[in-house]
Amino acid sequence: MIVTLGACGSSDGGDTQDGDPIVIGVSLPLTGDFSEPGKGVQQGYEAWQKIINEKGGLLGRQVELKILDDQSNADRVVADYEQLIGKDEVDLVFGPFSTRLVVPSARVAEEYDMLFVEPAGAAKEVFEQGFKNLFYAAPAVANDHYNHLAEKILAMPADQRPKTAAYAAMDDPFAQGTAYGLKEKLEAGGVKTVVNEVYPPNTTDFSGIAAKIADSKADVLVGGSQYQDGVNLIVALQQLGYQPELAAFSTAPTNPEFASAIGNKTAGVLSPTGYSQDAPYESNKEFVEKYTAQFGKAPEEDQANGYTTGQVVAAAVTAVGCAEQGECQQKLVDWVRANTVDTVVGPLSWDETGKPKGAHMIQQWIDGDIKIVLPEDVKEAEFLYPKPAW
Amino acid sequence: MPSGALLFQSILLGLLLGGLYALLASGLTLYFGIMRVVMIAHSAFLILAAYLAWYLHERAGIDPLLSMLVTVPLFFGAGVGLQRLLLTRLRPATLTMMSVLLTFAIALLIEGLLGYAFTGTQRRINLGYGSASLELFGARIAVVKLIAFGLAAVALTTLYLLMKRTRFGWALRATIQHRDAARLLGIDTERVAGYGFGIGLATAAIGGTALSLDTTIYPSLHWHWIGPLMAIIVVGGLGSVPGAAIAAMVLGMAQSLLQIPMGTTWAQTVFYVALFATLAFRPQGFFGGRLAQRF
Repeated sequence: MIVTLGACGSSDGGDTQDGDPIVIGVSLPLTGDFSEPGKGVQQGYEAWQKIINEKGGLLGRQVELKILDDQSNADRVVADYEQLIGKDEVDLVFGPFSTRLVVPSARVAEEYDMLFVEPAGAAKEVFEQGFKNLFYAAPAVANDHYNHLAEKILAMPADQRPKTAAYAAMDDPFAQGTAYGLKEKLEAGGVKTVVNEVYPPNTTDFSGIAAKIADSKADVLVGGSQYQDGVNLIVALQQLGYQPELAAFSTAPTNPEFASAIGNKTAGVLSPTGYSQDAPYESNKEFVEKYTAQFGKAPEEDQANGYTTGQVVAAAVTAVGCAEQGECQQKLVDWVRANTVDTVVGPLSWDETGKPKGAHMIQQWIDGDIKIVLPEDVKEAEFLYPKPAW
Repeated sequence: MPSGALLFQSILLGLLLGGLYALLASGLTLYFGIMRVVMIAHSAFLILAAYLAWYLHERAGIDPLLSMLVTVPLFFGAGVGLQRLLLTRLRPATLTMMSVLLTFAIALLIEGLLGYAFTGTQRRINLGYGSASLELFGARIAVVKLIAFGLAAVALTTLYLLMKRTRFGWALRATIQHRDAARLLGIDTERVAGYGFGIGLATAAIGGTALSLDTTIYPSLHWHWIGPLMAIIVVGGLGSVPGAAIAAMVLGMAQSLLQIPMGTTWAQTVFYVALFATLAFRPQGFFGGRLAQRF
């Protein structure tokens, strides 16, 4: 209390910024199509703000978030960042959620030469726009999600390595990106593609796709899926008695409802994930504990991505020693480009386009629990191959 | 060239799928037959029934098949109520068009309430036999799909016998064919139409239960169903339950077999190609004969 009063006193005194809070402007889809993940990111940002303020803030100043709701609307998000940067003159900005909102808002940030770290731009389009100030605060874009798995498979001795693979992906840039990233690498390594199915998001019956895959008897099964299609396809495959040696699905297996949805027949199912509550990264333990205390449940990937964004910006501000509009922003951008930041999702670094250089962790269902199996340095359990029958 | 085993498997899957489609579409064609009502909310009621089956299973451990003891009478009552309280108020001259708007609103209402009560999270009934299957000459038949097919067969046979062999069925068919003449013969057409609508909705309770056995459900799922179901009843001949059943079997089989060479996206368009061909060349439907004249 005394500290706060003291801080107010000094800011009344004149132009000095030392006592003023650092204001960070954010626009998020708190209503509309992306409201669920949007609120998740908001909680991540708020957890970061609380934790950093408890530690005395940034550069000795408290941090304040100014969050606007863009209603998942691309026009609104542009107006929001125009207002935050131009009119409200916030010191820093954080990105919104989803590629559809990140691209237009990154343009605004670019116009004002602001550092733009964002929690949700997994599609490759984000990095093809020529942005100079944008950085995606996550381990990898969709195409790189399975990199650790591809390496693992291709490193197997020739007599054990799988020979054929079946791919089924939803007609969606994210879901397809994950499956095709792995497909390219396995094909290059000599694993033959025997089924390659794309299905529209409104597919209700998966038995036909399942029949094709089961008939091919592929060694490897890869699903580029969201939740419900992944679950429906797995059940349809189980009904046909198909037993692959390796089964990997994006998104679905990390969902809390996954195991009960497929009747607990999860043994050996793999999934790439950008975040794990159990990952042994230094700041992660603190994040999980304090987040759980603040919100009453453990953080998921969206919350972690928000938190990571805060960590990246905080690292840059602390290293450079400033946080305001103008010349300072370029120094922050240069610093992020040249350095590696330790975060709750692991150490992050970026290429010229702002694309993270990492890959996702690979988790596997073992004994009724999902555990990290790749990469080697953070694994909680041994990679299981071939997978047990499901 | 697909292997014989894949062809045989796909034919079996097509049959099972066609049976499910027939069950889901039967109610839809009945409403139109009885009173020219285009019931956009039919698939929303299917999803509602699926949710009730899921909820009773989740909360009380009741098998979805037993949940029909509750949902079938409930939906019958709701259908009668819906017809007597809302649809009879529409003016006969604009009934067909206005019923689209009214039932569209009902579909939105059901979707909204489901989202409010159960959130948008996707749900699935976790049955012990969910992924069990029987073997038949090297092909596999999933137990849940077989149960759904059995439900369809029982429900449609019952419906057929009800329409053909009972006094109520005669009255209902008379109401469908010529409402004024039926009234002259002393049939209370208003009441009969209400019961007919109730029966249509009762089939939705059975269809939704069949659906819940093998699908992940979420509140907006019904929009994915209404298109194919509408296509089925138009191809089958509006108002003809046997026509809808045959069209459903043919289209289900076509979808399943086209899947092999063409993939999912194109296989699904078979419904719309069939719809277009019907409207262009045989608007009264390919299997039902003249509009609603036959049952």
